[in-house]
Amino acid sequence: MAMKGFLDMLPLSLAVIPWGILCGSLAIQRDFTPLEALFMPILVFAGSAQLVAIELMANNVPLATILFTTFIISSRHFLYGLALRDKLKILPLPWRLSLGFLLTDELFALSGTAKSLKGKLRLVYALSASLSFYLFWLAWNFVGIIAGTYLPDLTTLGLDFAIAVTFIALVIPNISNFPALVTVIVAGVLSIIFKLLNWELGLVISAIIAMLAGYITLRVMDEGQLKILKILKVKRK
Amino acid sequence: MNLLTIVLMALITFTTRYLFIHPSVPLRLGPKMVKLLSFSAPAVLTAIWVPIIFIQEQELVISPTNPYILGATVAIVFAAKGKSIYLSVGMSMLVFVALKFIFLG
Repeated sequence: MAMKGFLDMLPLSLAVIPWGILCGSLAIQRDFTPLEALFMPILVFAGSAQLVAIELMANNVPLATILFTTFIISSRHFLYGLALRDKLKILPLPWRLSLGFLLTDELFALSGTAKSLKGKLRLVYALSASLSFYLFWLAWNFVGIIAGTYLPDLTTLGLDFAIAVTFIALVIPNISNFPALVTVIVAGVLSIIFKLLNWELGLVISAIIAMLAGYITLRVMDEGQLKILKILKVKRK
Repeated sequence: MNLLTIVLMALITFTTRYLFIHPSVPLRLGPKMVKLLSFSAPAVLTAIWVPIIFIQEQELVISPTNPYILGATVAIVFAAKGKSIYLSVGMSMLVFVALKFIFLG
């Protein structure tokens, strides 16, 4: 199970090579010491928050602004915690702390099924998946720190494509019914609008509205089915 | 100074991840809430990948020669046909890199 976790996470661990190298090298290019650059992935462990914070810190933006921006970017994790709450809150403290610390977009993407995280084996699976992802993330950052100033500006090379298609490969096979399709379409359209408006909070807001849209669609369909069932019963009589 | 900022940032990212899995947080999820949250994975992941594909340099780029869109289309087709994540990602990366090369060169 540990091996399976590692292998299932591997495509995601590899897809963040560009991001990790970028985070490491950008920190060095923005005059972070190697130690500071290394503490970013070790402690913060969040791609987009790291990137944005490095730029803000380099521009001497006030501490409160940096922390607030970090909070906004990271706020999607509240949703992950909520979604996994009933499964994780019953675990002993060491499990909660470690899986909590390692709760990335990537771990959440692998924990979508009803059975996930239930029982010792599936916990070992999740721990091995997320811990290996963490170690890979450190390694890619480390490569970026070492390469540092020797690398050109990586932001313009289209390196974000890898993570986008990885998420596509994870989301598309799970669109198994109409409400899920509605969720994905609403999330896609709104996220574009909010991004063009330059709202940092746009990601979370579009996700929440999309969840509501999917849920309402499900309810409407359920009620529609109930009505049809009632009509059928009446006819049988 | 930077180190202090980094430690404070780490506290924030950890808190956003851990808060709701802490048992003594007074919160009980009803069946409706659980159902609603079952849509969170496709919602959040889609809200992350769609802007990467369609927005470049703060502008909406919907054109048939956009390597992002063509590459993503390949990934969607392979994923929808139930191909492995490696094949979907690998083929779309191949198309993406080739197109970038063609259109740049």
